[in-house]
Amino acid sequence: MEIFNVYLPIAGMDFNILLLLLIGTTVGVCGGFFGIGGAWIVTPALNIFGFPMPYAIGTDLAHMGGKSIVSTIRHGKFGNVDVRLAVSMIIGTTVGMELGAKLVIWLEQMGLAESVIRKIYVVFLFLIGSYVLYDYLSHVRRQKKAAKAGEPKEESGQTLAQKLNRINIPPMIHFKTSGVRCSLWLPVLVGFVTGVVASVLGVGGGFIRMPALIYLVGCPTLVAVGTDLFEVMITGAYGAFTYGVKGRVDLLAAMYMLLGAAIGAQLGTIAVKYVRGYSIRLLFAITIFIACASVLLKQLELQTPSSILILTAGIAISTVIITLLVRGVMKEKAAIRSSSKPLL
Amino acid sequence: MHMISRKICPVSPDKWKAITLLFIFAVLVLPSITLAASGGKPATKIYNVADTRGMEPGLSKWIADIYNNNLWLFGTLIVVMMGGMGLIIGLGMDKLVALLGINLGKLDHHE
Repeated sequence: MEIFNVYLPIAGMDFNILLLLLIGTTVGVCGGFFGIGGAWIVTPALNIFGFPMPYAIGTDLAHMGGKSIVSTIRHGKFGNVDVRLAVSMIIGTTVGMELGAKLVIWLEQMGLAESVIRKIYVVFLFLIGSYVLYDYLSHVRRQKKAAKAGEPKEESGQTLAQKLNRINIPPMIHFKTSGVRCSLWLPVLVGFVTGVVASVLGVGGGFIRMPALIYLVGCPTLVAVGTDLFEVMITGAYGAFTYGVKGRVDLLAAMYMLLGAAIGAQLGTIAVKYVRGYSIRLLFAITIFIACASVLLKQLELQTPSSILILTAGIAISTVIITLLVRGVMKEKAAIRSSSKPLL
Repeated sequence: MHMISRKICPVSPDKWKAITLLFIFAVLVLPSITLAASGGKPATKIYNVADTRGMEPGLSKWIADIYNNNLWLFGTLIVVMMGGMGLIIGLGMDKLVALLGINLGKLDHHE
C-alpha cells in the first residue's frame, strides 16, 4: 500500500490516495442523495487517519464546493433546483450564521461553548431524526389504511408547511419549481433560523436545511435535496476561500477527494431517480441517528470509536444507495427491453 | 522611641520613594525594553510553511510554492481549481452516464 502514499506538503504528512478517494466517494454519494455537504463524515474520517483538525475542516470545505457543483448541475437538469428559493434562503442563512457566530463567542466568554454546543447538537439530531422517522411511519400507516379501504389516494390533514404558506405577509412569491406560493419572509426566516443553528453547532447546515425545506416551506423531497445542494455549493466555495486564505486547506488532498466525490456525487444524484421521496426520508433519518450516536460517543470522550462509527456508517449507507441505483437501472433497462419487443 | 523606629524601619522615607519609583519603572518600562531587545512585539499570528525541500518540480511543488508566497492567491486558486474540476468531472460523468443509456431528463416529483 506504500506505493499509493502521496506527500502532502501543506498538511506536512504522507497520506494514502486510495483512502482519500474512498472518503471522497462515500461523502459524494451521500451528499448527492441527501443534499448535504457531509462535513460530519469527512472531518472525523480525515482526522482519525492523522490529518490535523483545522486542515481536515478546511480541506473538507474545499472539496465540498467542487462536489456540490457536480450534484447541483445534475439536480438542475432533473428539475430539482429552485434557484429563487435558494437565493431567498441564502440571505437569511448569511445573517443567521453571523448572529450564530456572535452567540458562540458569547457562550465561549461564559465558558459554556464546548459542553452546551455538543448537548444542543445531540438533542437537535435526535429531534430531527425522530420527526423524519415519525413522518415516514405515519405515511406508511396511511398508505396501508388507504390500500385496505381500496381508496386510490391517501388522505392527509393540513401540514405545518401548508399552514405557514397561508400567512399573508407581502411580498407573496410563487416558487415555480417547488410549486409553493408563500411570503418571501418564510424562506428568509427559515434560512435565518437554520443559519443560526448551523453556525452555533459549527456545521454546514445541510442536514437541518433539507428537512426544513420539506416540513416548513413545503418543498417536494427531491427539490429540497437539489435546492439545499445549491446553498451548500455557495457556502462551500466561500468556506474554501476563507480557510484557504488562513492557510488551512491542503489543496492536493482536496483534489484527490474531489476526484472520488465528483464521481460519487453523480451516482448519488442519479440514484434519487429510482427511489421515492419517502425512501430518501427514511434513509436520511437512519443517517441522522448514526450521526447522533457518533456525537454521543465523542461526548463520552471516545473519539476513535466515534470516528470509526461515522466512517463505517457512511460507507454502508453509500453502498445501500449504489445498490438502489443499480437495481433501478436494471429495472429500467428491463422495462425498455420488454416495451420494445414486437407484439405477436 | 526614635531608636526603636530606626531599628524597625532602617530605610529612610526618601529611600522608600526611590525604591517605589524604581519598582514602577521596572514594572512599566522594563518589559518594553526586553521586548525591544528580543526583536519587537510577540507574534500574534503563526504562519505555517509548506516544506518544499527535496520536492521534485510539478503540481505539488507549484501548489506548495503558491501557499508559501501568497495566501490570497492560494485561496483564489482553491476556489478556481475546485470549481473547474467539479465542472469538468461533472459534465464528463454526465456524458458517460448518458452513454450507458440512462434517461437523464426531467423527473416527476413523486413522494
